[in-house]
Amino acid sequence: MDTMYYGDVLVVDLDAGKTEQVDFDELDEAGPGLPAGIALYNKYSDSDPLVLGSGLFTGTPVPGACLGFMIGKSPVTGELAVSPLSQFAGAEMKLSGFSAVVIKGAASKPVYLWLHDGVADIKDASSLRGLDTWQTTDTVRHDMGESLIQVISIGPAGEAATNLASYSINYWGSGDSAALGAVMGAKNLKAVALRGLGMLDAEEPADFYEQALELLGNATASRGFSGVCASLDADDIDEWLRPMIHRYRSCFACPSACATFVKYNEPASVMEPEGVEEPGMLVADAPAALWLKSGGWDAEPACRALEAMARAGVDLLRGARELSANPLDDPSAISAAVRELKGSEHAGWPSGEPLEYGLFGPWVPPLGSQDEWLAANRAGYVLGICPTLIMTGGIDTAALFQLCGSAAGLEMDSSSVDGMF
Amino acid sequence: MDVLSPGYESRCEATVDVSARMRPMGRHARAFRNPVFVPYGEAFGRVMPRVAVFVGAGASHSWIWFADLLERLGIYDVEFITEHSVLSAGLDRMDFLLIGGGDTYAMAEALGEPGARAIEDFVRRGGLYFGSCAGAYLVLTGVDLEPFTPFNLVDGNMINVMPDPPPPRCLEHKYLAPYGEEWVFHPVYGEVEIASTRASLVFPCFEDNHLRTTLFGGPVLEAARVEDVIAVYSGLSDRAAYMWERNEAARLLTGRPAVIRAELGRGIAIVSGPHLEHPLYPHSNALIAEMMSIYWSRDPGLRDPAQGVDFHSPSRGEGQGGGGAKANGQHDASPLHPGLRDPAKQREVRELLYEIKRQVSNARIVGFGLEKLPVIWKIGVKVWEPAKIRMFLDCAWSRLDTLDANAGTLDPEDLAPLAHGYSEVTLMARNLKMEVESGKDSRATAESLITSLKELTARYLSLYYRTRLSGNYRA
Repeated sequence: MDTMYYGDVLVVDLDAGKTEQVDFDELDEAGPGLPAGIALYNKYSDSDPLVLGSGLFTGTPVPGACLGFMIGKSPVTGELAVSPLSQFAGAEMKLSGFSAVVIKGAASKPVYLWLHDGVADIKDASSLRGLDTWQTTDTVRHDMGESLIQVISIGPAGEAATNLASYSINYWGSGDSAALGAVMGAKNLKAVALRGLGMLDAEEPADFYEQALELLGNATASRGFSGVCASLDADDIDEWLRPMIHRYRSCFACPSACATFVKYNEPASVMEPEGVEEPGMLVADAPAALWLKSGGWDAEPACRALEAMARAGVDLLRGARELSANPLDDPSAISAAVRELKGSEHAGWPSGEPLEYGLFGPWVPPLGSQDEWLAANRAGYVLGICPTLIMTGGIDTAALFQLCGSAAGLEMDSSSVDGMF
Repeated sequence: MDVLSPGYESRCEATVDVSARMRPMGRHARAFRNPVFVPYGEAFGRVMPRVAVFVGAGASHSWIWFADLLERLGIYDVEFITEHSVLSAGLDRMDFLLIGGGDTYAMAEALGEPGARAIEDFVRRGGLYFGSCAGAYLVLTGVDLEPFTPFNLVDGNMINVMPDPPPPRCLEHKYLAPYGEEWVFHPVYGEVEIASTRASLVFPCFEDNHLRTTLFGGPVLEAARVEDVIAVYSGLSDRAAYMWERNEAARLLTGRPAVIRAELGRGIAIVSGPHLEHPLYPHSNALIAEMMSIYWSRDPGLRDPAQGVDFHSPSRGEGQGGGGAKANGQHDASPLHPGLRDPAKQREVRELLYEIKRQVSNARIVGFGLEKLPVIWKIGVKVWEPAKIRMFLDCAWSRLDTLDANAGTLDPEDLAPLAHGYSEVTLMARNLKMEVESGKDSRATAESLITSLKELTARYLSLYYRTRLSGNYRA
């Protein structure tokens, strides 16, 4: 496959402090996206690697094409697990100039990776030690001189390698419920920073572009979490958050702006970002918010708790579940409670019993059957499309598969995707 | 707090124009693939001209477009010269001199009377001068004001001058430049249409007698002799900004000369208001190519034997990649360093190329960030936007693969200053961005950065063109 990817795989040897680029044979052998990532993981499994990669469409104008992934052995289950690189991190992973990144070994002192336009730099992160994810993101962006750099970092929880640790994508946490943030901590890998100004080739560029735009025109656009919550038959957190809602935003190329920015350090009616440096929090994790709401938390302290967990690099979902039974109001008490989290709870939605842990985590299927949930995740991680967008019917999956032809000359459907796993 | 202050920006994470990330969609890419260029590389014959591109005082970024055009035409014997070169007989060995846009005052002051004489002598001896925008204003006889008085190559004038221009409808910062007691004004900024005249019927690039090009502050011309007019402004476009009402702009431009020429001694000078060299306008690029190739293929007996060069002699080289002998003792068209087989040296070359890639990438990323900020810098009479910074860097970035493919012919001593220079540029760009974001006066830093980028890009392109000229060149 000569299109949609840059070609090379970056292998980072943290033991030796060296990088090398190798051919991406796994792309054609295993299939694009997650299957190729799993093949790479297996190839380097002796060194307990983390593998970062992206789906076929990630970083293109295809609606919902925001998804990349990090895979590794989860400290929670001891099994291979995948966590999402959403927001803008997946797209920058694709555009960083590397088709996939294998991080093996452990550094002798804190380091971070700066991946840009096909250049890989292992940089000293001694000065980042002990910083939370917000401080780490700010420092890396300041040092590199650009605020669009995507920073996947760990906070104190990750540095301590607790099994509640989660990597954060910039400031707002992530869907990492497999504690891959703890794996980063064990590797002394404080962060991975991504930015690329490259461009992708398509097999039939004009057709691909037109079809992608047509798909975007037919996709269901939405704002906030109402649609997801309704599908779950769960309480509507949008109404709960309403007095604090400032704006909505989507991940890269997504028609659904579900992430909701709330202001609690200044009135949400203040449109200009004047007054306070940190006005609030981008709530991007609906089930985490739902856990706190279901436990009787008021919206404002709940959002402060989410912020504290995101800063500390704690899994928002499992942390919120653990916090949910004891609602708090005082910000300092919230911070103390976050510091004392034990990681005793499993992930999952408050609307039902969680499934057993699998490759994609322990979520209760929010829509349809377990098979449908698995199919959406498999398709999503192969194609680089947000599984939630697929599950909520925001996009026509059959049309997505048709795009594989003009994108990369591939014929693909759901059964061929199933065969890759 | 400003809307674009760091605190806001870092939390907002501005969205990205996803359509811009698909390579084949880029208009720039299409322009490079346009088959209109195919015949022109061959039109020069076996022997290619030596071309000087002016990158000295006052030159803006637009000389990069000349570099791109020359490469597409297969002309690799290129030197990027400053006023110092012009003043030290640097034109003696050249066949063409190209001067693009920028600050005409700074150019004229830096070149001075000796520079004007050197350029005139160059043309009289048989050279071709092509000037667009500032390069056009510079040599018009009608521009009679210090420091322009000594520059008199083309018997013509500009008509976009008046003592009290009406206020602009937009782009105020692009509208005026001082001219004595008067002002040079620009009624339109962007795409325009030009038409061939009787004198220019030999140029097949005009489709239906018209072609589109772009006008960024260049002159609306007046020619002393109608037969000197190659093209006139013939229409306007929706793809332009209008500082005047469109009808008024049309009234000023339509039918007025856009490109004129003058024969001087054995040579020729051609000036153009529009940037015919702009890479998004392949047909107007072709007009330059046609003018140059027609001139180049004229009777070689017209050339100055004092130059000591038989322009059609095989000893001059075999065109691109010909690996021929030196001409005038200036360019060695043989492989640059055929003896560089030492593995340690080759490793050093690879490491230096990687370091250049690293630093150009770092600087481009910062440059992209600067483009989001509401800032411009006025340096001399020239207005610079942040986007110009990345144009210099993209020029280097797009040619890295070629240098990498030819690493075996490169010398670490050529690469080390480039690696160091781009490292410095990265730091300057980061400092500049911090100054802009913190609301400080950033003009001095911007000027230093732009000066460094111009020098570095010229040095980089010189190495690049020497590499392409090498007989061992690999695509």
